[in-house]
Amino acid sequence: MENIIEIQGVKKYYKIAKREKGTFMALATLFNRKYETKKAVDDISFSIKPGEIVGFIGPNGAGKSTTVKMLSGILYPDAGTIKINGFIPYKQRKQYVKNIGVVFGQKSQLNWDLPLIESFELMKYIYRIPQKQYEENLDLFIQLLDMEDFINQPVRQLSLGQRMRGDIVASLLHSPQIVFLDEPTIGLDVVAKERIREFVRYMNQIRHTTIIFTTHDMQDIEKVCDRLIMIDKGKKVYDGSIQEIKNKYANFKSIELLLEDGSKELKTFDVSVTPMSAVMEQLFSEKKIKDITICESEIEDIIRDIYEGRVVLAQPEAERN
Amino acid sequence: MRAYVEFAVKKFQDKMAYRLDFFMGIVNTAITILVYLCIYKALYGDAGEVDGISYPMVATHFVITLGLSNAFHYNEMFLQDKIRDGTITNEFLKPVSFILRLLAENIGEGAFKIIFHFIPALLITLLYTKLCPPVSLLGLPVMFCSVALGYLILWLISFIIQTWSFWLFSVWGIITIKNVFVSILSGSLLPLWFMPEPLQKILSFTPFESIYFTPVRIYLGELSGRETVFALAVQAMWVALLCVIANMFWKKGTKKLIVQGG
Amino acid sequence: MNELKIALQSLKMSVRTRMQYRVDSLVATLAVFIRESANIIVIYLALLKFDNINGWNVNEMLFLFSLLFLTYAFVVSLFADLRDFSRMIREGRFDRLMVRPRGLLFQLILNNADLMASAGHGTLGILLFLISAGKVGICWDFATILYYLGAIIGGVLLQGGMFIFFSSLSFYFLETNSLREIFYWNMRKFAGYPISIYHKLIQGLLIYVVPFAFVNYFPAQYLLRKPDLINYNEIYIYIAPLVGIAVYLSSYLFWRVSVRRYYSTGN
Repeated sequence: MENIIEIQGVKKYYKIAKREKGTFMALATLFNRKYETKKAVDDISFSIKPGEIVGFIGPNGAGKSTTVKMLSGILYPDAGTIKINGFIPYKQRKQYVKNIGVVFGQKSQLNWDLPLIESFELMKYIYRIPQKQYEENLDLFIQLLDMEDFINQPVRQLSLGQRMRGDIVASLLHSPQIVFLDEPTIGLDVVAKERIREFVRYMNQIRHTTIIFTTHDMQDIEKVCDRLIMIDKGKKVYDGSIQEIKNKYANFKSIELLLEDGSKELKTFDVSVTPMSAVMEQLFSEKKIKDITICESEIEDIIRDIYEGRVVLAQPEAERN
Repeated sequence: MRAYVEFAVKKFQDKMAYRLDFFMGIVNTAITILVYLCIYKALYGDAGEVDGISYPMVATHFVITLGLSNAFHYNEMFLQDKIRDGTITNEFLKPVSFILRLLAENIGEGAFKIIFHFIPALLITLLYTKLCPPVSLLGLPVMFCSVALGYLILWLISFIIQTWSFWLFSVWGIITIKNVFVSILSGSLLPLWFMPEPLQKILSFTPFESIYFTPVRIYLGELSGRETVFALAVQAMWVALLCVIANMFWKKGTKKLIVQGG
Repeated sequence: MNELKIALQSLKMSVRTRMQYRVDSLVATLAVFIRESANIIVIYLALLKFDNINGWNVNEMLFLFSLLFLTYAFVVSLFADLRDFSRMIREGRFDRLMVRPRGLLFQLILNNADLMASAGHGTLGILLFLISAGKVGICWDFATILYYLGAIIGGVLLQGGMFIFFSSLSFYFLETNSLREIFYWNMRKFAGYPISIYHKLIQGLLIYVVPFAFVNYFPAQYLLRKPDLINYNEIYIYIAPLVGIAVYLSSYLFWRVSVRRYYSTGN
């Protein structure tokens, strides 16, 4: 099948002004300012097929939101190409955004003082949604997200979870083919998160919407996404299925050591390289150990280990070409 | 005391971070002075003196007043914002007086404006117009005392209204209206010399006259020795009275906050 | 028409929002009204003492001011988001407009209306007009009324254009408030007086750089013909309504060029 999203060697660098400390230096910067370059996104490529649902993760400052901004046509790349749905987003903004929906989890687009329905009505006109389609979508979404109770309350009185549901509906009323969800579960409780995940799955399975989902919550990824793209320091560090990453690192074991002085240490080993017996032998000879716990690596631990540099991920050969 | 000086210095440094603001502040002040001097000149027309006041006196009055009102330009919504977002309670836990800290920061900001906006603009102004020199060297320190008292009066009025945010949803409207009253009644737009007689009489019983007009009159030597002492006493009296009122509102407000939990 | 529906829905939302804070809205309107009246009170008091300013008496001055307030009442209901544009950029709210399939300026203009400021300025403008228009010797015939309406529309476009221009600068500089402070707010304040009283530098600014003179001074001169008109080319009083259109169009072009920068830097 043809790729719906195709991005090739995309880079985005920012120039940041340095701020000096001290009265004299601050005075000096009034006349002469120094800049440094930050590589927010540094040579990223991937492609996504229609109907895929992709989790997009990385630590804070890894370049996630810069990438989402480039995908949604807000920023253009300094180098590389982006082609989505046959459009170059930043060049054909108005045409392109008709068929995408964007949810910024941290920035609501709803009118704070009015009931949700008022903001939805505005969307109807802005996206030129036919009345029939508008009503069908609205009814369906209200039912799926269980929103009848609060549809007529001013947004400022809603809980974060209710507000987020409202934001998602506002971004999807025009039945976009591609949806970018930028941290839609941030700060929500377990029940609210689950409701949003179900809805996202529904949109993907029944409507075949292509979805890119950024989050910090690995549960979101495990329960919703088929595929995972991980970036760190502006570079792609993993791209593949969730199952693959699990299989690949099934051999990784984490060992929590409780030392005699009361301190704790966490070690991760690849038991296919160093057998467990050898690991133990080495540990006991080096340290005074009081207690030891061996843990299976959960996906969350693997990801954390990757972020913190305890595990270096090698890209699968095929991916390099 | 040292802590409060630190607050003032910190605020001063913060202001320096914005380069464009810095240069524009000078240009802005210089243009404002130029424009108002033109307006006064046009009002004077061919007349040498009006009610015994010459054009250079009016010009001097305006420039000094502008400098002082420049120094008194800071975020008056600060307390309201702190109360609204609840961070005011953190302030009570700190070992410094919130009121004095606020005053120190506002003074720091004012000092920045005087040194970097007003003084350069004043030097530019002196290139093309003559202002009255101070009447005597002894007058200067006395005037600075008077300026300090005038600043405190203005600051306390502002603070009292800011404390009303303990009770009101928004004090923006009231602050705006207060600023209108201050700018007209203190003579910063039209010197009190030119106000209708009855209004001048009434104003002499209000704190407004003590804000800018008293320091300017001392500078111009309009007041005799005895009148100067009296004027300073009046200023001090207003500071004391406003202190009492400010303290009362502050105590009641914070009490309400603690009792009702914000 | 779809555009009209967006406009009506936006207006309905602005009104309904304000209705939720009735007392606050009323106080804010009153505050704007009083704040703007301050200049009027001062000029009134000054003219009690000095009689006229460069030949302009109290009523003529009030008429001159009324044009500023009337035009601004429209400006602030149409261009409120552009007035507060640097904050919008800083808070990242502009991103939202970019992912909607509509023109960016179109959305900005329709998005928000500062109804309180509009009511405050509008009331004051109408009041000043009513007080002065009958006493300044204008014969209100058809041609005069037509010119007057043209001048109001021109004045709205001119100031809207300036808002667009200053907003465009937000794409180049982090902080543009100080620029706006000088070149919009202060210049507007200065434009309340007959510009002939000013130093040549300020006159130049008000005619050629931030052309507020075409919002009120030249239109008022068309109607009043005060002697200080002799300082200027008479053509200015005839083209005043057109200058607004020219400023709006050139600001619009500048916006088109500048908005590209947002694609490269974001906020």
